[in-house]
Order: sequence, then C-alpha cells, then structure tokens
Amino acid sequence: MRIPVPLTALVLLSLAGRAGAETQMVTNVVNDYIIPGYEALSAATEGLKEAAAEDCTVTSEPLLAAYHGAFDAWIAVSHLRFGPSEEDNRAFALAFWPDSRGATPQTLSRLIADQDPGAVSAEEIGEVSIAARGFYGLEFLLYDPALSVAGDPAYHCALVQTLAADIDANADAILGGWQDGYSDLMINPGPDSPYQSNEETVRELYRALSTGLEFDADARLGRPLGTFERPRPTRAEAWRSGRSLRNVLVSLASLRQMAELMADGDEELEADLDAVFARSLALTDPADDPVFAGVATPSGRLRVEVFQQSISRIRDTVSGTLGPALGVDAGFNSLDGD
Amino acid sequence: MKPALTAAAVLCIGIGSPALAQDRDAVLRTYADIAAAAYGDSLTTAERLQAAVDALIDAPSPEAFQTARAAWLAARGPYQQTEVFRFGNPIVDDWEGKVNAWPLDEGLIDYVDGSYGGATDENEYAVLNVVANPEFSLSGERIDAKEITPALLRGTLHEADGVESNVATGYHAIEFLLWGQDLNGHADGAGQRPWTDYAAGGACTGGNCDRRGAYLQAATDLLVSDLGWMAAQWAEGGAARAAVLENADAGLSAILTGMGSLSYGEQAGERMRLGLMLNDPEEEHDCFSDNTHNSHYYDGLGIQNVYLGEYVGIDGRVVSGPSVSDLVAATDPALDAEMRDRLAATMTALSRIKIAAEAGFSYDQMLERGNAEGEALVMAGVNGLIDQTKSIERVVSALSLDGIAFEGSDSLDDPEAVFQ
Repeated sequence: MRIPVPLTALVLLSLAGRAGAETQMVTNVVNDYIIPGYEALSAATEGLKEAAAEDCTVTSEPLLAAYHGAFDAWIAVSHLRFGPSEEDNRAFALAFWPDSRGATPQTLSRLIADQDPGAVSAEEIGEVSIAARGFYGLEFLLYDPALSVAGDPAYHCALVQTLAADIDANADAILGGWQDGYSDLMINPGPDSPYQSNEETVRELYRALSTGLEFDADARLGRPLGTFERPRPTRAEAWRSGRSLRNVLVSLASLRQMAELMADGDEELEADLDAVFARSLALTDPADDPVFAGVATPSGRLRVEVFQQSISRIRDTVSGTLGPALGVDAGFNSLDGD
Repeated sequence: MKPALTAAAVLCIGIGSPALAQDRDAVLRTYADIAAAAYGDSLTTAERLQAAVDALIDAPSPEAFQTARAAWLAARGPYQQTEVFRFGNPIVDDWEGKVNAWPLDEGLIDYVDGSYGGATDENEYAVLNVVANPEFSLSGERIDAKEITPALLRGTLHEADGVESNVATGYHAIEFLLWGQDLNGHADGAGQRPWTDYAAGGACTGGNCDRRGAYLQAATDLLVSDLGWMAAQWAEGGAARAAVLENADAGLSAILTGMGSLSYGEQAGERMRLGLMLNDPEEEHDCFSDNTHNSHYYDGLGIQNVYLGEYVGIDGRVVSGPSVSDLVAATDPALDAEMRDRLAATMTALSRIKIAAEAGFSYDQMLERGNAEGEALVMAGVNGLIDQTKSIERVVSALSLDGIAFEGSDSLDDPEAVFQ
C-alpha cells in the first residue's frame, strides 16, 4: 500500500486545484448532515425530557419510546467528536461507554443510596460524574433489574427526570454551538478558526468518519466478541435495553450518508462506498441477534465476525480510496493509546 | 529595513532547501540515542529498586520499607519519559503491557478493603488474592501457587482469563505492594500499607508476609529483566534502533505517531480528562503512591524531549543532537515556533499540577466533584496536550509524511515489505 514518494508529490499537486471543491464539500457536510443530525437530536431529547417529566415510571411506554428515539438520534451523530460536542465535555456527558470498570452502576448505586442532592438538581447535575449521566446512565435506571427499582421511588423518579433534562440541555448546547459560529469556523478556515486550512477541516471530517467505523468494528462488535475461547456477551453496548445491534445499524446508516457526501460527486467513489456499505447493512436483520448473545455459540459468533469483517471492508475503501481522493489521513484520534 | 529583508530572504533560501536524507538519518539517530539513554536510566533505577526490595525482604524495617518506596518513585521519572516511544514502535508497544499496565484490579494480588467490592461483570478474578491463596482455580484450571515465581506472575497471572485489568507484573503491581490501596478518597494522602506487611513471624500484618515478599521480589526481578531487554533493543545493534533507522520517512513517522498518540488519546484523554469527568480518585495513573502529578509531568517531558532532540539523564549527562525541530525549522520556521510554544505551554501546565501536588494539593483532590481549581489545573494540561496534537499533525504534513503514519509502518512491522 505504500505510495512511492514522487507519486505522493503528484497527488499533492493535483489537490491544489480542488480547494474550491473541498470548501463546497465541507459546506455540504455541515449544512446537510451535521446540523440536521443535531437538530434531530435536540428535538428527540426534548421529547425525552418531556416524556420523563410526564411519567417517570420505568415501565412507561412513552418514556421508553422517547428514550430509544433520542438514543438513535445520538448514535447518528456520536462520531462527530469535535467542536461543540467536545466543549464542556458534552459528548462525554451524553455517552460514557465502554465502561470497563463498571463505573456507571457503581456511581448510580452510590448516588441513590446517598440520595445525593446534586444528582437531582438541574444546576448541579453538570458536576456529577459522567459515568452516572447520559444515555448509558439512564439505561441502567430504566432497564437494569437492580437499579431500575433501587432506592426511594421519589428520588429514583427525580433522578430519571434530571438525567433526561441534562441530556436535552447538552444536546441543545451542541446544536447551539454549531448554529452560533462553529459552522462558519469550519466552512471558513483561517487564522480565526481552529482550522488553519481546508486540509485541516477535511481531515477533521475524515477522522470522524474513520473513527466512527473503527468504533463500530472494534468496540461495538469487538467487545462482545472477545476471543473464541472467551466470548463476552455482557460487554455488548446497551444490551440491557436491547440496543446493541441497533446502535451499529444506526451508526452505519449515518456514516454511509456522511461518506457519500464526502465523495462529493465522484461517481466511481460513490459507487464503491455505496457497495461496501450496502453489503454490510444487508448482512444482518435487526431481529437476528439484537444483543449479540450469539457470540457464545459458534454459528452466532461467525455471523458477528462476518459482520465485523464487512465493516473492515468499508474501512479499507475509506482509507484506500476516499482518504487519498481527499488528500488526507485520519491523524490522531481518541481511540489511539491503550 | 530593505537590506535586512534581503538578508532575511537570502537566509530563508539557505535554510529553506529541503532537508537532506542524511539530516533525517541524524534526527533518527538522536531519537534512538535518547531512547537508549532513557531505557538505560530506567534499568539503572529499577536495579536500585531491586536492591532496596532485597534489603527489605532480608531485614524488614520501617527504614528499609521507606527506602524501597523512594527507589520506586525515583524509577518512575526516567521510565515515564520513555512512554513517547510506545505508540510509534511496535517493539515497544507489544512489550509495554508487561511493565506499565494500568489500571489494575489489585485484589488479584493481595488483600483489599471491603469497599473494593468482589468479582465484577468484567473480571471474575478481581479479588483472587494470590498472596493469601497458595492454590486456586483460574479459568477452570487448578493452579499451584505455593511458590511465587516470576514464571507464575508472567505466565499464569498476568492478564489472567484474558482480562487486561488482571495486572500481575510491572510498576503498578509493585506500587500496590509498596503502598497498598489509597483509601483516602479525595482527601490528601497515599496508600498506607504498614511496613509490617513484610515483617517476620508474629509481627507480620495482613497475613502471608513471606508470600507477599516473594511476590514483590518476583515482580521487581521481572521489571529489571524486562527493562534490560528493552534497553538492549535501543543500544547500538539493537532491533528497535535498526527498525527506526531503516527508512527515514517511516522512522520520522514513528516519532510523530508516538508524540501524537501519547499526547491525545492516551494522556489527554484516557489518563487526565476521563479521571476528571468521572471524579474518580482511582482514575489516577499512580494512584497507590499519589505520584500521578509526576507521571503526567514526565510523560509530557518525554514528548518534548524527542521533538527538541534533548534528554537529561539521571546522572545529569545531556544526550542531544539533530532534532525533528531542526527539520521543521528548515521547512517552515513558523510551524517549528508554534510546535515549540505549544510543547512549552503543556509543560507549564503540567508543572503547575506538579507544583500544587507537591505543595499538598494532591491529584486526587483535584479530581473531586466541584473542585474548580483542580479542574482548571487538570484541564489546562489536557488543553495543552490537545493543542500540541494539532501542531503535530501540521508537522506530519509539513514533512510530507501524510499517509505514512498508517501505511509506512510496514517497515517496522515487516522489514521485507519495504522492498516489495
């Protein structure tokens, strides 16, 4: 896969002529993908907040439906980890997972046992550990057999409502950040922007896309797979609410939309991307194995492995074709390290 | 003004010419020299720790215990400066888990407080307690642990049951054996293990003092042998040095990959920001000894070392030579200035954490919920590391190493591939 140096130089030269086209591509991704994605999240979390305010019981159908709607909307934008989502740790507060040391149930148990006043206060919830907050904290309160019935019912109810409102506040703040300036900073790189050049904005988008795919393959599928000798079904994401597979499918559908906008009218590239995404999404039916419990059996495991490999094919196309077409690589991401 | 401008223009032409291949080779040699020196210092300080541990086991006393702790702390400074070599060099990354794995479920090794909990969803062996149990079953197999040996730690216990937090060897296992759990929560203070946990006969506290001592010695012996191996890989003729020097672009890419991955995903993210967001005093890199401020500081310093091509050894000798900074300055002086400024800004922020911690405002206090001063100190370090990562990416572009970071490591993974 190594490109000899003279060829790299040629590629870089030819990219200079694409600067205008790339600005348009960034504008399209921001206006037609990122902003609508956050608008959908903000609307869905408003619905979640209202449903919790209306009826906080953990069996409330409207509450659970609103929870799933908002979680879907979050997954669709969850790979966009830059700018307003990183500010004030908003994305972390919406989504702390994987939780390899069990911090979410531990922290929630402690808050409930102590009837911690900060965790049921709209003003103070922002100071509470991210492990207890967001979609994964709320999942334990709504679905975990122990935590869904833990503690004083009035406190439990207030905690559900406070977490739902906190989720909505963070979603609104991210959308606000995009509407109040970050879109312009992204579309117009330069000395007053965090991005000095088109190359840097394009890399940011490309990094988000490739990190999203990496997370789907390595975390969402890789964690429950574990090893052949030691599969780990309880390491699947959001298995308590039955969302493990659904999250991957929602994520892939969203990443597909982003990738195709980034292909920016290059028909061959669009066709390549379309083919690999379509192949991956066609492999699985949401009813098949919603929480990857099948990883413990040889046939179930094989199915998840094949799905994971299909995401690797998408990653190959993105890194082998889209990246070079855009003239960027993914740089450093938050999954680097251990 | 005009003549000055002309002179400046001439100067720019002079230094603006593309850096020559031999310049790049010289930069890589400096990098390998720094690695050899820093791993060599890590080995030397680990040998001092080994001597102190042997003395403690021979004749347990409060003084011998304190000497061993001091030797552990001294050993961390040079080692943390080597972390920048991890992510760009597979030979280091594949080995690193043996010596510096973290976080750990320390109940695997020895007794823990009741508040620690029991086995978890993730780890059935979180409270195995090898020190207290000469025989136990692990993943369905009966294990004879009557003798606590390096082979038992390395072959059987480390990452037992495929769980990464089953850390049986390395600095943090030794740290736990010297300090014990830090049960102070967010209050100031490190672990309070008494020296009598190593005392003989009736003076022994915590039970099984002889087995605890055997564990401590075995873990320390392994640390010394592991560090000796890695120091040899960077010495003249070593494999890590050869891999870096083999291809100039791939070698430079390894340097910058190590700088960027440690700055961003590892240190800014996993080690600093996460602990703050979780308000968790156990999310501290050196949590038993309360040495986290130093751990962060020397990690940051290691990143700066390899960019500037300078390292100060434990005996005061300075290793220096042509640097990445020189290469960047020859191509884009403004970018070199930006990179230096940002590395310096990070070091200022990490120094402030260290200064405050050494003055008594410990790192676990900084992580406490609602502690605004602590949050500001830690976030300044995080932001510095994030900012410098952006500059590292610009350096990758300026040196035309784009793409090599992900593909060019062929030369490190598979030396034959370069020639195909």
